[in-house]
Order: sequence, then C-alpha cells, then structure tokens
Amino acid sequence: MNKNIWLKVGLIGFILVLFAIRIIPTKAEPEPIKRGLDLKGGTHLVMRVNVGDAVRLETDQAAEMFKSQATKNNLPAPTTRRVDDLTFSAVTPAGVPTTEYERLAKDYLPAFDMSRNAEGAMVFKMKAANASSIERDTIDHAVETIRNRVDALGVTEPIIVPESDNRIVIQLPGVDDPARVKDIIKTTAQLQFRLVEGTPAADDKTALASVPAPMKQDVEIFPGTREDELGRATGTEYYAVRRSVPVTGTDLKTARVQKGRLGEPVIGFSMTPDGARKFGDLTGNNVGRALAIVLDNKVVSAPRINSRIDDSGVIEGRFSQQQASDLALILRSGSLPASLTTLEERTVGPSLGRDSIRQGVLASLIGFIALIAAVLVYYKGAGINAVLALLLNLIILLGMMAYFHATLTLPGIAGIILTLGMAVDSNVLVFERIREELRDGKTVRAAIEQGFQRAFGTIIDTHMTTIISALFLFQFGTGPIKGFAVTLLIGLFASVFTAFFVSRVIFDVVYKPQDRPAEISI
Amino acid sequence: MQIFVNTKYDFVKWRFHAVAFSIIFAIVGAVLFYKNGINWGIDFAGGANIVLKFRDAVPLDRLRTDLTDASIQQYGKPEERSVLIRLPQQGREGDYAGQTVAKLYRDLNPEAASNKVDLNFNGKDRIADLLYTADPDHKGTNDDARKAYQALAQEVIAKRSELGIFTNINQATSVANMTSADAALLHDKSYVGSFNVLNQETVGPQVGKELQGKAVWAVVLSTLAMGIYLWLRFDLMFGVAAIVCIVHDIAVSLAFLAMINGEFSLNIVAALLLVVGYSINDTVVTYDRVRENRRKLKTRATLEEQLNLAMNQTLSRTILTSGSVVIVLISLLLFGGKVIHEFAWILLVGVLAGTYSTVTIVPAVAIAWNNMTGRKHDVAGPTSQRSRSNNEEPPSPPRAEASTPKRRRAV
Repeated sequence: MNKNIWLKVGLIGFILVLFAIRIIPTKAEPEPIKRGLDLKGGTHLVMRVNVGDAVRLETDQAAEMFKSQATKNNLPAPTTRRVDDLTFSAVTPAGVPTTEYERLAKDYLPAFDMSRNAEGAMVFKMKAANASSIERDTIDHAVETIRNRVDALGVTEPIIVPESDNRIVIQLPGVDDPARVKDIIKTTAQLQFRLVEGTPAADDKTALASVPAPMKQDVEIFPGTREDELGRATGTEYYAVRRSVPVTGTDLKTARVQKGRLGEPVIGFSMTPDGARKFGDLTGNNVGRALAIVLDNKVVSAPRINSRIDDSGVIEGRFSQQQASDLALILRSGSLPASLTTLEERTVGPSLGRDSIRQGVLASLIGFIALIAAVLVYYKGAGINAVLALLLNLIILLGMMAYFHATLTLPGIAGIILTLGMAVDSNVLVFERIREELRDGKTVRAAIEQGFQRAFGTIIDTHMTTIISALFLFQFGTGPIKGFAVTLLIGLFASVFTAFFVSRVIFDVVYKPQDRPAEISI
Repeated sequence: MQIFVNTKYDFVKWRFHAVAFSIIFAIVGAVLFYKNGINWGIDFAGGANIVLKFRDAVPLDRLRTDLTDASIQQYGKPEERSVLIRLPQQGREGDYAGQTVAKLYRDLNPEAASNKVDLNFNGKDRIADLLYTADPDHKGTNDDARKAYQALAQEVIAKRSELGIFTNINQATSVANMTSADAALLHDKSYVGSFNVLNQETVGPQVGKELQGKAVWAVVLSTLAMGIYLWLRFDLMFGVAAIVCIVHDIAVSLAFLAMINGEFSLNIVAALLLVVGYSINDTVVTYDRVRENRRKLKTRATLEEQLNLAMNQTLSRTILTSGSVVIVLISLLLFGGKVIHEFAWILLVGVLAGTYSTVTIVPAVAIAWNNMTGRKHDVAGPTSQRSRSNNEEPPSPPRAEASTPKRRRAV
C-alpha cells in the first residue's frame, strides 16, 4: 500500500518534469508555445481562386487551336466566338462540307461536347469532368505559386491550405507590412510578349483606328504609361496589341533586378530552352517592330526589336527599387493560373498583439491569484491540495500545448484561466463530498474514500458536457477561436487527471491510512 | 470555512416567479433586438474594421470627409490617439480595409509620393532593404550584411511596437545597434508617417453569410447534443429539462447583449457555446444527486421533495464553483482589454444564468414534465394517489408545493 503511493507520487513527478521541461524556453526553442496571429501580429487571408479564368483560357485556346488546325488541313478558318467560360461557337464558311470540321473536332477537341445551335453553328461545350480537373489543377497550381512567393518573402511558418469552394486560406505570422504582402500574393503576374499593331495613342479609339482594317479583329487595346523624352510619366498611352500570345511568363527561367543604363532598376530575365526558341522566332521574324511586354493586361513597356533575341532580355518599366525587386520575385515564383479575390482578411499589427498579450496575461494572473486565495480561505489545508492540483494542471496544459504545437491566442489565454476556474469545480465537488461524509460521522479515511468515489461520476459528466461544447467550438471556429477550443479541450483532460488522481494521492500522502488520522483540514 | 450547510430552502416553491422573471427578461431583450435591430459585427454582416494609431492628434474631421460612408469612433482612451473605422459591406467581395488604408495613407502623408520609407507604416523588410541597398556601414553585398541590416530593422520595429508609434524619427534612430551612418541614412531616406495600422479586418459578404449559418448551427446542435447526452446518461425528462435550461441561458445572455447594445461577433458565439457547455454543469450535479438519493431513499418522496433535497445538498458546491469562475471572469472583464471585454460579459451573464436556471427553470420543467407523464418520477411510482388528480390540470401543478410536507433530510 505504502509502496503503491510512492509509485503514484513518482508518476506524478515524472509527468510534472515531462511537461515542465517542454515549456521552459531554451536557446533552440525560445518560444515553446507558439503565439497565434492575434498575439504575434500577422495576417490571415481567405482568397477565392477565380477558377473561371483558367477554364476560360482553356476554352479560348481550344477555339484558337480549332482555327489553326483547320488552316493546316487546308480548310478555311471558321469564325469562333466564346459564349461563356465553358463554351464557344464556330461558324463554318458556307460551301465547305461541315463533316470535315466535325472530323477535326473529334480529333483535336476531345474535351468538348459538340452540338449545333438554332443557326446551325457548331457549339463546343467543355465536358464537366475536364472542367473540374482544370479547376483542381488551378487550385493546386495557385497554392504552389503562393507558397513560392511567401517563401521568397521569408515568412516563417506560413500556412497555405486549399479549402472547399475554390478557396485558399493563408496565414502569415509576423507579417508587418500586409499591404505589400497582399500585393505580392495577389498579383497574377501573367506576363506576355505580344506584337504591337498601329501606333500607340492617348485614347483607345485612336489607337484602334491606326490599325489596318484586316487586323482590327485580331487586336486588343491595353493601357500603358506615356512617357516624355526624359522618361517621365505624363499620362496613359493605349496600345493595340495582337491577340495571339507567342511567349508568356511560363517561358521564363529566372528573373532578377539589374541596373539599367542610367542606374535605374530593370528586370533581367532568361528563357527556358523551349521559351528561347519561341522568343527567337518571334524577335527574329519581327525586327524593327514594337514588342509589348504585357503584365496583367497592362503594357509595362513596348521596346523596338533591334535584332533577334534568344534566351535573355531586360524589362524596362518605371519601377522603384522595391517594385522591381517585388516584380522579379513574383516572376521567379511563377504566375498565378487565375486571379484571386479577397474574401476575408484579419491583420493584427505587432503593437496591438503586444498589448493583447500583456493584458491577457495580467488578467489571467490576477484571476489565478484571486482563485487561489478563495480556495485557500475556504478549504484551508485541503485548499493547498487544490492549489497544487491547479498548478500541475496549468503545467500539463501548457506542456501539452507545446507538444501538440497548439498556438496560444488571446481567447486561448482566457481559455486557460477559465479552464482553471472550471478545474476548481472538480476539487470542490470532491471536497464538499468529503465534508458531507464527515458530517455523517465517517472517519477521515472513509470520508476521503467515499468523497472521491462518489464524486467521480459527476466529474465525468460535467467534463463531458463541456468537452461536447468545446468540440462544437472547434468545428465552428476560425483562427483564434479554434485556439481557444484546443486550450479548453486540453485543459479539461488535464483537470480530470489532476482533480481525481493527483489530488487523491496528495490526500493519501498527508493522511496515511496506517496513521488512522482523526482530523482533516478541509 | 463553511457556508450553506444543511440548508432547507424551498427552491421549488419559487419556480413560477422565476419563470416569469426569466420570460420578462427575455422579452425585454427581444423587444430591444426588434427595436434596434441586431448589432451584427463585421464577422457576420461583412464589411471592414480598421484600427489606426496616430502620431499626432487624430484628424477626425479629415477622416470623416475622406471616408463618407464609414463610422468613425475613438478607440480606447483619448491619449492613445487611436480610432476605429468601420466600413459597411459593399455588396461585393474585395479588399475594403486594404484599399481604405491605402487611400488614407496617400491623403494623410505628404511624403507618400516620394520614394521614402515610412518607419511607422512600412514593415521591417522595407527598412532592411533600404539599409542594405544604401549600405551606410559598408558591409558589402553578402548574406551577413543582409542579416545584420535585417536585425537592425527588426530592432526598429520592436521599438515601434513598444511605443505604439514613433512620434519623432529620433526615437527610431536611437535603438542600440544603430550607427550614426545608419541614422543619417534613415533621416535622409525615411520619415515617420502620420499613422500606423493596429488592426485591419475585412469580411466579404459571402464569408459573413456562411459564418452566420455556421454560428446558428453550432449553437443549436451543441444544445441538442447536450440534451441527448443527458438523456442517455439520465432520462428523457432530464434531457428535455437540460435543453430548456440551455435555451434559457442563451436567451438571457442574448437579452443582456441587447441591453448593453453589444456587437454580435465570433467571440460572442464562442462565449455562447461555452455557456452551453458550462452552465449545464450545475444541472448535471443536481441530477446526479437526485439519482443517487433515489437509490438511498427509503420513504416515499415526490419529485418536488427530491429536487429540493438535491439542490440544498449541492448548494454550497454550486455557489463555490460558479463563484470561482465568476472571480476569473471579473478579472478578465477588468484587466483583459477591449478585445475580450464583451466575450467576458456574455460568459459572466451566461454562467450566472446557468446557476440561476439550475435552481429555478430546471425544477419547473422537470415537475411540469412529471405531471404530464403521470408523476413517474415520484419515488413511490406513478400509482401514488397524487398522480390521479394531476390529469385534470396539466401541465402546471399549483397544488404540488402546497401539499408538499416538509420532510427531514433523508440520507
């Protein structure tokens, strides 16, 4: 019996050490319990990936391919028009048998279902399976691109996870310049090299009017910056550029900031072997013409092609040092396959986090001291027992959080102190029971035995109800509230252990059965 | 020290008064909600919250003319020079907070157009980049130099966090590891802007709507789960009584929220869920005691007597545990800061309501249920003579407490 007790004391000591060493900050781990975004400062973002962009692009490319395959097969090119993200129609020229085109469609557009509309035009609609596979790929690609960018920014321990409904949740602890980070994440960085037609002009209509009539169908108008002779920005310039995109950002191998002729920051890039071949063809066949460098539907610059360029080049824009290095970073990490829309953002600046942690800890400390005082006054000797159990509870709670890599949030701090308040409940249940048994004339040992035994079921029930609601809280919550739920759950498990096992052992050690104690301080 | 020993309060007697009081309280809350509308926070309504801290006095008039559709109020004490800007939902997704901050930044900082770094607004990366590019300490372009300048930038940001905001650039250049060359560079190429961002939140209409749905479901399902657990552990009567008790506690908490015109936020939902789980504890303890007594009781006892006995036996425990949580919550209320203020209020009211409902609402429901089902829960069983009269006037049994004889404590 005696041996048994010391075994239990040893076990408690072991658990104490096990958890205590985990929460003492060391050199290797100066912050054993991670602070959540609300305490550390940082940004929580929920972005929607507009997968429609990627599907639309696929549809456009299919239409382009249909036309070019027709030409290759010596058929007149059909006129295509995109109906919606998934669908395009093709009007075949009169006098050519439509079966020829149908054969082409069968060979080259396996991802599309073909039908005919009322006017007899061919209508191609992307198959649902293909559309959803493009959507999945788009999300994966977007997550990967965002991760590249965030890593390049040097954010430590970011969380980037896809969620349902085409969403991505991004958590960036310690970020103190959310505007810049959001810009970097959200820039789609669709870089395109496209030939300029006609002459740039101060408004879009003039720019379009300068394009020769047969080309008018095949150009788009994009804005850019107008510069005077000294390179100063003087307004917006509109460019008519060809619809076809021979070289894109995916052909880039790398991009970095360099110094231009006047020492201004420019972005130097080099091409992948495949990209170099395409870029060489494009520049070699069009010497003397203007080549627009289009980034997210804006013309960054439109230099004249002086000679054939194969594998490297320079993008000049009106970049500040910061813009240039951010853009180089974005180009290196690849373009996003679709645009992003911010659905939710929660950013806490570092100073607010600091205030929160100070207030949270102060409030908890005062609450804890008041709690201890109340228990000691009310239960005297047994109160010391309860306080020891509470302290152990606190150590287990913090240690478990460290082991599980749970993050401490502001509601989480409230959760800790609240758990301790609730943990007292278990002690109170037992102590009140012991008092009752004593009043009924039981001996000290019998009262202790009965007290613990009778209170057990009740303690399990009260903990179960709170665990149920903590689980719902976890399921419902985001960020800080999840942290709160986790703290609460861990604390509840710890409290069953301390109130029931530890507190019991303390009683057994102080009031040894063989001593036949006649009095108990409770 | 002992309080509430051997009490013999007749809790059951007061149950109708208590039910009436609770209903009035809830009705007052409902009327307030009806009159003022629910004060949805941005978590549910969508929109944006921005908290800015200013270097000088808050330019309230300027902010109001700049942001016409925003509500702007002081945040914290006047000497903190902070404002809370709330933007209503715009009916579409977008980075409201970010766009608004960018606009204010341009409007309130004359230096914004220059390429200078704002030590109050920009982060450590910008400062580190500035130092590394200019390299005032001639450390060269290598990783060690980059790390050294990053550490220095981090020091500046830490100083800013400590002060809240720089009011003077000398505060930034006086950090320990800053050389005079670094300081000269910062004086030349940076400035302390008029504000920094303490907090910015945007919730789009879609997320807000989803959160509303999730919040309602979480509260409803956890209440049901609690009832089912107690039904399985005890019996159907207690399960139903527990659900009524939880609904009561939530109604009272919400009514209180309406009375203090509090904002309905995620934290409030968290508090409500906690109230669901915690306030039921007192009820569980009481039920447990009723069940235990039933096994021990040798004499015949009505449910009213059993409940009164159990509630008196557990009274000191109920007061003590609620008391210990209340102590903690009061401390959170007083010292916990603005962010968790309303959270602590709702928990406090919820816990008090939970204790109150345990000794009033639960007995009322249990007794009403017992009368409806033919007084099954009297220890003597449904065949006792009292059960016959009950069929005439369910569900409220006014004669029950009048005929209850005062009995000795049965242990």
